[in-house]
Amino acid sequence: MDLQEFRAGLDAWLAGHEPELRAESGPGAGLDEEMRHLSKVKRMAYDAGWMRWGWPERVGGFGGTTLMRAYLGEALAARDLIEPGIYSMTEVLAPTMIEYARPELAAETVPRLLRGDETWCQGFSEPGTGSNLGSLACRARRDGGVWRVTGQKVWTSLAQYAHRCVLLTRTGTPESGSRGITAMLADMDAPGITVRPIRAMHGRDEFCEVFFDDVRVPVDRTLGEVDGGWGVAMDLLPYERSTSLWHRGAYLRQRLGHLLATAPDGAFDPAELGEAVQAAFAFHARSRETQHRMARGERLGPETSVDKVLLATTEQAVYDLVAGAVPADIALGDGADGDRWRTEFLYSRAATIYGGSAEIQRDIIARRLLGLEGGR
Amino acid sequence: MDAEAAELLARSLERAFRNETVKAVEASLEEIGWREALAEEGTAVVPLLFARQGAAIAASGALDDLLVSALGFPADPGTAFVLPEFGSYAAPGSMEEGGLAVRGLGSVRMAAASRAVVLTGRDGGLRASVVETGRFEARPVRGVDPRLGLVMVEGEGIAASGVEIAPATWEDALAAGRLAVAHELIGVSRTMLRLAREHAVTRVQFGRPIGAFQAVRHRLAECLVAIESAEAAAGAVLGPDGGADPVAAGMAKAFAGRGARTVARHCQQVLAGVGFTEEHGFHHCFRRVLTLDGLLGDAKTLTRELGEQVLRDRRLPEMRLL
Ligand SMILES: Cc1cc2nc3c(=O)[nH]c(=O)nc-3n(C[C@H](O)[C@H](O)[C@H](O)COP(=O)(O)OP(=O)(O)OC[C@H]3O[C@@H](n4cnc5c(N)ncnc54)[C@H](O)[C@@H]3O)c2cc1C
Repeated sequence: MDLQEFRAGLDAWLAGHEPELRAESGPGAGLDEEMRHLSKVKRMAYDAGWMRWGWPERVGGFGGTTLMRAYLGEALAARDLIEPGIYSMTEVLAPTMIEYARPELAAETVPRLLRGDETWCQGFSEPGTGSNLGSLACRARRDGGVWRVTGQKVWTSLAQYAHRCVLLTRTGTPESGSRGITAMLADMDAPGITVRPIRAMHGRDEFCEVFFDDVRVPVDRTLGEVDGGWGVAMDLLPYERSTSLWHRGAYLRQRLGHLLATAPDGAFDPAELGEAVQAAFAFHARSRETQHRMARGERLGPETSVDKVLLATTEQAVYDLVAGAVPADIALGDGADGDRWRTEFLYSRAATIYGGSAEIQRDIIARRLLGLEGGR
Repeated sequence: MDAEAAELLARSLERAFRNETVKAVEASLEEIGWREALAEEGTAVVPLLFARQGAAIAASGALDDLLVSALGFPADPGTAFVLPEFGSYAAPGSMEEGGLAVRGLGSVRMAAASRAVVLTGRDGGLRASVVETGRFEARPVRGVDPRLGLVMVEGEGIAASGVEIAPATWEDALAAGRLAVAHELIGVSRTMLRLAREHAVTRVQFGRPIGAFQAVRHRLAECLVAIESAEAAAGAVLGPDGGADPVAAGMAKAFAGRGARTVARHCQQVLAGVGFTEEHGFHHCFRRVLTLDGLLGDAKTLTRELGEQVLRDRRLPEMRLL
């Protein structure tokens, strides 16, 4: 299957199944409902085969170009059938599993993620560890065939729904920095894990505190080498800035399109609108190149920080435009449209924080792309 | 053109733009066969040439060649193109009772050219005429960027009949021209960033290269984001058929123009005192940015008009399929 065939087939399938794929309760129904709906969409797309294209056969995929994955998320987001923040977690975590997990483990677990049977989360940040990931403290001690994990994670998106967690732990000495980190896949129902959802500013329990109290993780759940977790994390981050961002870009265009179709006359300053459209166009062009590089098998690296900065800037410009066009909806609106614009506007403020803050991205660009030593 | 041929052409172009005088640049372009490449490969060769012309802060009649041939006239070193007035993209000429009247800009080619193509527009109809350059006044513009060699073109009562130009033909020509200027702006931006980066690694203050200071690093990172984004946008202008998409070309040019100003602002700050001198190369770049932005519609105009168009359509412009 090539991309053209895939696109035509998927478009036809989506046209035929749109009523079923659309969330019954409509947007803004709350995260529980959205997660249920996401599972349903993933399951239907998996059963119809679409969700399997672009993934290797050894994890239940059908193979073929990764552009098909990019297009699937785009097509779903463009029709407002998914919200990419929760959908695209797969694009971040599955590639890591494929690259670093034991082949049997990847073969067993990745299909469940693709099929929507499971939700996974990413346990990197801690109370004392945000931007400086190398300082993390959540400890894992080797005890025969298991790791015994004790510590805390925070801002862990979707942990309250998650079956599994891609977890970074400290296995070296406390001073070992980036050299003493090990990545592993933990089961979220293991004894000793406590999850406390945190209400975020946009009114949702977006993320959680996760406590680990002597949690046992089998050693064969280690991802990559022992003490090699830094490399795993560094390889994961470019994925967070490629296909997921493409999906987000499609979603932004869809929302901007909706705003254009519905906002009253005189709601926009043409110059401001023109700028946001140009930014969306530039992001589309940049991210499209990244998707094609990935499809050619190129290794993604620090250049994806450019994509990330551009997307975060574009996203905030688009929602600034929203806030200017329908200010009363954002400030006061209590209908479904107002709730949704407000939630999304507030969420857009995090675009320069998660996945490596805007400052950290600029540091990566300065150091790795411009060759400027020092800093921090 | 395959990658190898493109690489070869790019390297020859780079050498051509190292020439000191415009005459030598034009001669080198002739030797390289730039016009033949344009005729054979079409707009695909535009990025190759203009990015290098921009990076070298060089000037030539390449934009004249591009626009002249896009309107269906033979391009040669003796033929110039009368550009619209600064900031605008309206046809520079009009057909009056007493003949053709023109008011626009000429490139560095104008001085040596014997003919110029003048686009006239009135009541929606477009015509293009070949006019002898002696028939109008061409006064050198000094302005902010004398090295670019722009001239102010003015004349009236010129006998000319011209040929009809389909609006779509002019739209395509304008798209190709905007793509060219976008790449030129990106080239200039790259040079500014190179200068500022070199300065950041060599200039020591407080016992460290200034490139170790985060305020400096982030400014330069911001420049690279602006440049890479503008390059991606410009790269999306050429469709699979090799032609430049008019809406995309307008967006890319405006984006590159705005980006180049961002780059100029940050690089100037990083270069500080030395960058404010005429001895340092930066000022040539900044001058070029200010001038190029005004050719074939400036960023401000194009951005506002795009917004107005999107509001009329009530939907986003088409973007390329994955
Ligand atoms: C919506 C959302 C979802 C998230 N989901 C997850 C998740 O699923 N899993 C997970 O592990 N984490 C997640 N995070 C956490 C996110 O990765 C961190 O918030 C982020 O890395 C920043 O860490 P911090 O909040 O501790 O800020 P800090 O690192 O304390 O930074 C505070 C401020 O200082 C700046 N700063 C810090 N260091 C430097 C420096 N060296 N130079 C310049 N400026 C600096 C930062 O840019 C920031 O502006 C999420 C966050 C949000 C907002």
